[in-house]
Amino acid sequence: MAKKILQVKNLQVAFRTQGGILKAVRNVTFDLNKGETLAIVGESGSGKSVTSKAIIGILAGNSIVEGGEILYDGNDLLKIDEEHFHKIRGNKISMIFQDPLSSLNPIMRVGKQLTEAMILNGKAKQRDARNEFNTMLKLMNQAMNEAMPESIEENDEACKIFNSFCMEATHLEKAYDDAQAAAVELQEEVGDTSFLLSKKQKVDIVMSLRKFLKLFPKTLHPYVVIDDEKYQSQFNKIRELSKLPKKRINPEEVIRVLNNVDLSLQEAIAKPAPNWFRLGYYLYRNPDFDYTKEKVTDLDEMTLKYLDDNFMNRFFELGINAIVYSHNKSIKGKKEHTLAEVEKLRSYIESQDHFEKKDIYSRVKTVAAEVRAAVDPIHLRKHSIEFSLGVSLKHEFARYFTGLKKNPKNQRKYDRKKARWDAQVARGKNPTWQVVPPYIIDLDLCKRNALQIIDSLLERYEKDFRHDRTVFDPKREMRETVDFFKEQASTLTYHVTKGIAKARAIKLLEEVGIPEPRMRYRQYPFEFSGGMRQRVVIAIALSANPEILICDEPTTALDVTIQAQILELINKIKQERNLSIIFITHNLGVVANMADRIAVMYAGKIVEYGTADDIFYDPRHPYTWALLSSMPDLDTKEKLEAIPGTPPNMIYPPVGDAFADRNKYAMQIDYEQQPPFFKVSDTHYAATWLLHPNAPKIPTPKTITDRIARMREKEKEEGQKPVYFEPPEKPSEPKEEEKATLEQSPAKKTALSKKPSAKKNMKNKGGKDQ
Amino acid sequence: MSENKTQQAPLLSVQHLRQYFGPTKAVDDISFDIYRGEVFGLVGESGCGKSTTGRSIIRLYDITGGSVYFDGTRIAAGWQNYKADVKKAKADAKAEVAAIHAEYQEKEAKAKDNPAQLEMLKIEKKEKLDAVSEKLNALVAEKTKEIKSAKHDHKYGNKDFTRHEVEKVRAKYEPLLEKERSDEEKAKLTKQYKEEVRLAKHDRIMNKIQMIFQDPIASLDPRMTVHDIIAEGLIIRGIRDKKFINEEVYRVLKLVGLVPEHATRYPHEFSGGQRQRIGIARAIVLNPDLIIADEPVSALDVSIQAQVINLLNDLRHQMNLTLLFIAHDLSVVKYFSDRIAVMYYGHIVELATSDELFAHPCHPYTKSLLSAIPLPDPRYEKKRKRIVYRPLIDHDYSKEGPTFREVAPGHFVSCNSEEFDRYEKEIAGK
Repeated sequence: MAKKILQVKNLQVAFRTQGGILKAVRNVTFDLNKGETLAIVGESGSGKSVTSKAIIGILAGNSIVEGGEILYDGNDLLKIDEEHFHKIRGNKISMIFQDPLSSLNPIMRVGKQLTEAMILNGKAKQRDARNEFNTMLKLMNQAMNEAMPESIEENDEACKIFNSFCMEATHLEKAYDDAQAAAVELQEEVGDTSFLLSKKQKVDIVMSLRKFLKLFPKTLHPYVVIDDEKYQSQFNKIRELSKLPKKRINPEEVIRVLNNVDLSLQEAIAKPAPNWFRLGYYLYRNPDFDYTKEKVTDLDEMTLKYLDDNFMNRFFELGINAIVYSHNKSIKGKKEHTLAEVEKLRSYIESQDHFEKKDIYSRVKTVAAEVRAAVDPIHLRKHSIEFSLGVSLKHEFARYFTGLKKNPKNQRKYDRKKARWDAQVARGKNPTWQVVPPYIIDLDLCKRNALQIIDSLLERYEKDFRHDRTVFDPKREMRETVDFFKEQASTLTYHVTKGIAKARAIKLLEEVGIPEPRMRYRQYPFEFSGGMRQRVVIAIALSANPEILICDEPTTALDVTIQAQILELINKIKQERNLSIIFITHNLGVVANMADRIAVMYAGKIVEYGTADDIFYDPRHPYTWALLSSMPDLDTKEKLEAIPGTPPNMIYPPVGDAFADRNKYAMQIDYEQQPPFFKVSDTHYAATWLLHPNAPKIPTPKTITDRIARMREKEKEEGQKPVYFEPPEKPSEPKEEEKATLEQSPAKKTALSKKPSAKKNMKNKGGKDQ
Repeated sequence: MSENKTQQAPLLSVQHLRQYFGPTKAVDDISFDIYRGEVFGLVGESGCGKSTTGRSIIRLYDITGGSVYFDGTRIAAGWQNYKADVKKAKADAKAEVAAIHAEYQEKEAKAKDNPAQLEMLKIEKKEKLDAVSEKLNALVAEKTKEIKSAKHDHKYGNKDFTRHEVEKVRAKYEPLLEKERSDEEKAKLTKQYKEEVRLAKHDRIMNKIQMIFQDPIASLDPRMTVHDIIAEGLIIRGIRDKKFINEEVYRVLKLVGLVPEHATRYPHEFSGGQRQRIGIARAIVLNPDLIIADEPVSALDVSIQAQVINLLNDLRHQMNLTLLFIAHDLSVVKYFSDRIAVMYYGHIVELATSDELFAHPCHPYTKSLLSAIPLPDPRYEKKRKRIVYRPLIDHDYSKEGPTFREVAPGHFVSCNSEEFDRYEKEIAGK
């Protein structure tokens, strides 16, 4: 089964507006798997954009997140603070907006906008790596000391050595990386200049030659460019050229020389590098050793043996001891105890109607500490459970107490205003101002949210321990830990110069299909056409190598050919990088090619979801029918079946099915109760009462069946076996409890019969809702 | 559509329309006819000049060259290309004269010693020079005439129409007034006569062409009520009768599926689809013959799109409207239009009835456009291969440039003779 990368659970978002509280998203739940495209389809105002904005944390200021969670990488994105979100937004989850012009800065060159994030990210990454490395080593040291109190001195010594030679390796690697970076930068500049010269553009040859000469010594590193005579002579030639008067420089000769330099640089950059980690230790012990003379493979072998014999075997032993100790410490009898503690907190919260501020905070604090003690700190170095429990609960209770304090005040304010308004109306006046509804925090909801946090934590927490108990391999654990140290140490040298960023940006521009990227790099957004602009936006979104890409109507402003190009591009990039994509659109036709799964949204709820085949060949919800049949295809001749009226006003969300008013198949129960999800197949669910076993059988509208038949025919003509869906036999049985309620109340049973006059006054109603 | 369309005079005839913005040739020499009662679709990618064509027809721009005839009257004309012709002819003549001089200088040098021959050569030379200047003068005179007429039509086309209308009213009333009548009757008739003359004076031929714009938010004045927006045209038209105006406004509101109560509201109180309905109401209130719909549904949601298209379809039958439908969504254009013209960088590359165009696309650009349409059919979509149009590779126009030719009845393609043969075979083969 594919890995779930993002989970949205019961998301509820509302907006405070002049007219009242607008429920934009009501209980939306979906998962996003690794490497898949999920399309969210719906009319404007159905809450699809709000959902995506909630995921990336850019909801408008008047929004209220009423509940739910968005789980990414073990964290609830709705609860983490802005500081943490910086690491996710753009880096892990990126977004492409509808209008490419408004998401680009008009007064900055495209190149600068592309490289900006790369350079900024580089610095932040360095800082984080240093922190991670130090904390982790400290933890290890502590565990070692606690595990083997008899050899504290040895432990400290080992950790110290480990730290020092890792830093030594880091220095070596940094020197190498700098030279490599200089080489990449030089290659970029050389390529740039020779490109411009060959295009007969204006170039200050002398200036650029001098620039090369300046970069040249930086590239001289034994493992990047070994003092190669050819390379040296090439630069001597450049030096000669740069000393000539400007008029006597022949551009063609310069291009020739530069091309040679380019070739030797390519060779140099491709050269293998030794293992710096091992070499670091060797040099730490033998500082006088001249490593440049050896071959890379020999060097690697030699240093490996030396490291293992002298240090690493012992360090591994110590480390494994520490890990086993830390693991046992966290497990030993604490699991039941901690679980019981968490349960206790849960039942306390559940039973209590009112909370005392001090009391509840201290309880949360103790439980969080309890959980922290029970969690193996070495194993769970990142995003510890304790963190998410403590912070989330505290966050939720802070909201609760704010509500407790401010709700009566807000209510009084509202009452006063309302009384004034009523008085004015009673006197026959028509007040020009409006009564804004009060900002009331739902205390019950806060409580429910807190319980939900604990529930989801319990779930994950138990799983964690089960996992540990069955497959605990201290050796593997230790290897992973050392790998982690290595990774952090090499991230320390992660360093993006302007030149590297430029080289990467040009590669990205090439990847998204922009011709002549070197030329385009220097241009301003207004010099691009609509499609090209959208490509630049995509390149910027990809520049930090995100895991999830949210596309909010990326092609709505573009015409057919460009739309096709952009969609192909997104598909291609998705496959190359194994991206997960959330694709938001109002046009079902667009997503047929893109989507693996489709969720149809209406009035803040998902009304139907399934694979693309399910939705297109076997739609079940009347709204999906309406969407599909309101869209002409190339063979449509008959009158289009438009959806009458407009979406409901979400300030007063309907009691029953939100689509009932515009639905010609609406039944009495649609006006009274919200339909649950009925299962059509394992992948396909729809929320409509029509799928209830007691509902009258309504066939799929003719327009759609005709179209599917036409598609089938077309495919037969093309000589392929039709592999279309087999119509599923029956909608699945409803849940037991529902069945019971339906059987108990005969009134409801009769209510399921069709209501013929549902469409009366449709048109007027639609208009008045405004 | 009627069968004998070819005999019927076109409602709108666009001939050699050119619209240049400085060096940019937004529209370069396009010609097409629109017949009464049909929907003519204009498709192409953004920037190909389809909106510019619509705007040039309704005279939002002064066109550079060519003419637009509406119901037989020339409503817009350009003369820049005539001026360019004259300039070119003058330059050509100058070069020719120089060539003649050079030729005879040589000959005269050879016949230096022979006075008789010299004399003959001189006469010959003069004759040749005269012929050149005569040709030039004739051409200049012709072009000047055309420029004059184009300028006149462009400037006074509306006034001529108005004068004509006023004369029609006069012709109707003058015999009536001359008859013996009682004073009272006569006074009444005179009043009626004066009113109608006033209205006729306010009438413009351009009233018969109206436009629906793409963006329903930007095209409605946010400070005017719906009533004001719709009634504005009637007021400019010269109608003063408040009751009549109200009646008309309510009538068109009902026609477009809104209710009279909406008249007092402002545009921001409506949803996108309703705003576009207001735009349509504004366009039809003057009972136009031709409506230019410039991407009327592109900015709307799919479900609302269907409402607006159905509305336009109903109105078209009710009011016997003719539509120029500009859009880039080919499924919508195919569904809605009778004939379709495909534009590419200022040229029309293919023109045919919509079924014919989709069944037998000839021009490689049309093929590439059709291959880009997304359909609600995942299995088909997974296999769909987009054809890329590469003008330099797909055509070889080095020997012979393309012209607009009829490959099948009513099906025109821009091609050269070699391509023409190929396309004809393609269509016959299918």
